[in-house]
Amino acid sequence: MISPKSFQTASIGIRQTALRRIGAGGMFLFLLIAAIITLFPIYMALLNSVKTQGDMLSNILALPASLEWGNYTDAFRKTNYVRSLWNTFVVAGTGLAGIVLFASMAGYKLSRTPGKLSAFLFGLFVMSTLIPFHSIMITLVRISSGLKLQGSAVGLGLLYIGLGVAVAIFLYHGFVKSVPKELDEAAVIDGCGEFKLYFAVILPLLLPITATIAILNTLWMWNDFLLPLLVLTDFKSYTLLLSTNMLFGEYNNDWSAILASLVLAMLPVILLYLLLQKYILHGISEGAIKS
Amino acid sequence: MPTTRKWKPSAMLLLFVFPALVFYCVFTLAPAIGGIWYSLTDWNGLNPAYRMVGLSNYVEAMGDRFFLKSLWFTLKFVVFMLVLQNLLAILLAVFIEAMGRSKVWFRTIFFMPNMLSLIIGGFMWMFIFTRVFPYGAEKLGWSLLNQSWIGDPRYSFFSILALSLWGGVGYLMVIYIAALQGVPKTLKEAAAIDGAGALSLFRNVTLPMIYPALTIGVFLTLNGSFKVFDAVYSLTGGGPGRSTQVIAINIFEEAFSFSNRYGYASAKAMILFGIVLVISIVQLAVMKRREVRA
Repeated sequence: MISPKSFQTASIGIRQTALRRIGAGGMFLFLLIAAIITLFPIYMALLNSVKTQGDMLSNILALPASLEWGNYTDAFRKTNYVRSLWNTFVVAGTGLAGIVLFASMAGYKLSRTPGKLSAFLFGLFVMSTLIPFHSIMITLVRISSGLKLQGSAVGLGLLYIGLGVAVAIFLYHGFVKSVPKELDEAAVIDGCGEFKLYFAVILPLLLPITATIAILNTLWMWNDFLLPLLVLTDFKSYTLLLSTNMLFGEYNNDWSAILASLVLAMLPVILLYLLLQKYILHGISEGAIKS
Repeated sequence: MPTTRKWKPSAMLLLFVFPALVFYCVFTLAPAIGGIWYSLTDWNGLNPAYRMVGLSNYVEAMGDRFFLKSLWFTLKFVVFMLVLQNLLAILLAVFIEAMGRSKVWFRTIFFMPNMLSLIIGGFMWMFIFTRVFPYGAEKLGWSLLNQSWIGDPRYSFFSILALSLWGGVGYLMVIYIAALQGVPKTLKEAAAIDGAGALSLFRNVTLPMIYPALTIGVFLTLNGSFKVFDAVYSLTGGGPGRSTQVIAINIFEEAFSFSNRYGYASAKAMILFGIVLVISIVQLAVMKRREVRA
């Protein structure tokens, strides 16, 4: 026999599963539309980058009538793609090497050494993390020109070291606490010097946080626009972004070449993203939560 | 021997910190201090000679029509971003977590714009706004699309907003997804057994559990939106005229484009710093307190 009460709960249960199903469908639809909007500009850039100017104007949404690869050779030449890509690598490579090496050394020792000096130095680094870049950029540009770093990709990389170490030290400092101290002591007893201990024992153990720091900083340096715009005064040292920006300014209405250059500029990042997605997403959430 | 033991750790510490400290001092600390110093001078960047002018740069900035307009424009932008970016990111995160196999796909797609510079993204959206939308309005008759999305500041505000959301939502989404995954399943199940509906489950169980992530999300949005530069630079460049200038563009032009007034631009930059600092501290204090209660 079914009591009225259990009948009622059963009907609520049915209503809830029905609602949940409609809810799931609605959510999926929402995500689908959002995904289409998200991809739309990238899709339009790809699609129209292989059209002739005339084809683009008459059928902007349609598939290309014929493939016009000339846009790409055009963009390739006008942005000086190989050199720009190389410059971007040099900037990010120099910055990353310095940030990882110097910040891990400092973060490790600061975390291991007790006392006032250590606390003061750590505070000095952490203090700056709230300063907006715009508040220091004017003087920074003066300093970089004084040190003859303007117009050089390596020079820009050096600036990034100074701008990036503070946050990286903070992250290393926190991570080192989870590395057992006994390791240091054992290594010292074995007659291991301080630097050997750091390079042979500690640095490899910091790999998880190093990966996070590498991802965050590479993304930042690769996509940063304002500082290169101010510092890279010589077009021979232009990064991908600066070359693309220059092409955009010079060929304001030649969308075929512009779209092709945008696709070329996106290419390395998108490829890297699709390959290393898991690590990148992990690194992003890790970095945000810890800092 | 005892004395060497005493100074050795400090010497080692300095040795390990030294390289980082040098770069940090030259490229972050010195410019920050220099910024404060120059904001009190009439330095024009070219002339090596300059005079101390006290606080007159700050006084001038407070009466600078264009600077105040850019402040107001930025503030409006920050408020819109604060609400929309966090709302959308939470919505996406919650919906994605409810999905099955499509979860990974959606996450990949929504985060993708975050990998790109907003300069690249801005030029792509520029194509949408100035070519695709007018085309759609003409061919498909969607007259709503037929606005001056870049040229008219009333609309370009929303163009800038759309671009910034497109580029920024994925980042916060990843943070919120990580937070949602940290909510224990048993807690939700217990609430569901107690008869909580989906909405009340979210409000009373999930939201308090992801409150720390909300603190981070709001902090990151505040910090980023006050400093917005790329999105405006690539779409409108601050124009037409100076109608869509944000603070960062205003400072940039003051220092590097029009007048080279480094001292004056530094004062504006310090005002920006002050605003970001005060708002961040207030926000963190308020939200941390609520976090503990929740």
